[in-house]
Amino acid sequence: MSAASYIGDNPLFLLTYLLHLVRVAVLLALWRLILAGRGEVSGMTLPVVLTYTLVSEAFYEPLHGRTSLADALWNGTIVTRLLHPVGTFAEFTAEALGRWGFTFCVFSLPLLLLAPLFGVSPLPASPQAGGLFVLSLALAIAVGVAIDINLGAAMTALEINRWAVEQVREALTVVLSGALVPLALLPWGLGDVFGWLPFAAMASAPLRIYTGTGAPGLLLALQAGWALALWPLAHWLWRANREKLVTHGG
Amino acid sequence: MADNTRTNTLQRLLRLWGLYARMDLLWMLRDGRQFAIYALSDLITNIGSVTAVLLLAARFAGIGPWNEWQVVFLLGYAMVVNASMNMLFQYNVLHISRRIGRGQMDHTLIQPQPLWMALVTEGFMPVSGSAMLWPGLGLLIWALVRLQMTVTIGWLAAAALNLAASALVMLSFSFIWGSLAFWAPRAAEEISSAAVDLVSQLKGFPLDALGPVLLGGLLTVLPVGFVAWYPARCLLGLEARPWAVLVTPLAALLFAVLAAFVFWRGMKHYANVGSQRYSAFGHRS
Repeated sequence: MSAASYIGDNPLFLLTYLLHLVRVAVLLALWRLILAGRGEVSGMTLPVVLTYTLVSEAFYEPLHGRTSLADALWNGTIVTRLLHPVGTFAEFTAEALGRWGFTFCVFSLPLLLLAPLFGVSPLPASPQAGGLFVLSLALAIAVGVAIDINLGAAMTALEINRWAVEQVREALTVVLSGALVPLALLPWGLGDVFGWLPFAAMASAPLRIYTGTGAPGLLLALQAGWALALWPLAHWLWRANREKLVTHGG
Repeated sequence: MADNTRTNTLQRLLRLWGLYARMDLLWMLRDGRQFAIYALSDLITNIGSVTAVLLLAARFAGIGPWNEWQVVFLLGYAMVVNASMNMLFQYNVLHISRRIGRGQMDHTLIQPQPLWMALVTEGFMPVSGSAMLWPGLGLLIWALVRLQMTVTIGWLAAAALNLAASALVMLSFSFIWGSLAFWAPRAAEEISSAAVDLVSQLKGFPLDALGPVLLGGLLTVLPVGFVAWYPARCLLGLEARPWAVLVTPLAALLFAVLAAFVFWRGMKHYANVGSQRYSAFGHRS
């Protein structure tokens, strides 16, 4: 169903992925411009940063953890979702996983296979790092989806406009998650602080594990901690506020 | 006679802009709490949109051949271009593929005014859309002071011309891609979003290190380079050729002509096939 909803009536849906590919090329060129001739910076060399960026873009959707909950709250389809005989969170998560799976096949996998053409190694720092990345990615998704649901509950409770919430989330995620700029490369030691926040558990942690630039034990523990803290909060916030739900369609 | 028509058209444009500006102001002021939420979210969004590049520039004392303050100028320029889009072309005028793909062009076509006039005026939101303008102008002025640049009347005119041209490039780019929705309403409904998002994401980056093929692509097929990078280079004096300052306006003219042509072809197609997106009871497929 996710695949069918993407493809629609025309293969033009591929253009979205083409535009994403351009973004990847520009980001890789930018890092080459910044780090050329600098050697190792904060424990990261140019090849490591390129791999970090490539993998971050290949797993863009799961590392952002966005479900279609906000869409459903905005356009009113949440009403029918609540009538479905399955758990609401489970349904939104499953739908997101289906969408990400489709993107993985159509965009991520080809990007990783074509990485050598960009002059980038797509391989993890070690086989062990590759294995731990899968675990870390699962935890990153758990944290990202939990944040998404918490924000959905906040939208409902405070009757905040969907676009305002989405914009703020995007703005915070870009800077704090480490998906665009590795936290270690931020100035004034900001990365050391941001690394403890839940946003870092969404992207920085799995990418550091993949590239071998972080301690896997500590990073996984932090991710698990945030998942354990955010999921009960999401359930409680949703239970407490779903009766306040007001939607007018969109 | 022709002068009279032109005067009437101008008067109508001004009246419509005034009307939309008033409605926008009332919308923002109708609820203090919502206004505060919008203002706060805009503030965070605006800061977030430039913070990553600013932090990189601070960490590495610039990016490539651009020093820190030149990067600040580039970001300020990009924000002002974005602000002009937000102020002039909201309500899915910039994201034109949504209107086309959803079959909403009919809403505009039944109005007793030319289509161009509706598109030029309907998206005018000078109050709620101005959140990026002030920080953008602030960054521009801050950078100019720190760079100790001599600002002459000629330079200001060149800056204004290039800012308008960059905005026109962005609008034309969205219309060129967005017109695909005339032929593929469902698949291309969000194509303008993808195009605008790409420009928004990349507009603040110095593109100097790109190879000739990619850079050529970013100045033609995906003209991100004309939205901020190239005009900022010219205004900062990083382009040695004196006529370089006219390249972005000329490019804008070409993109506008192409966009008008593609949109016109799409409208001809639309006149024949219409839209099948809405069911009889008003739901969109």
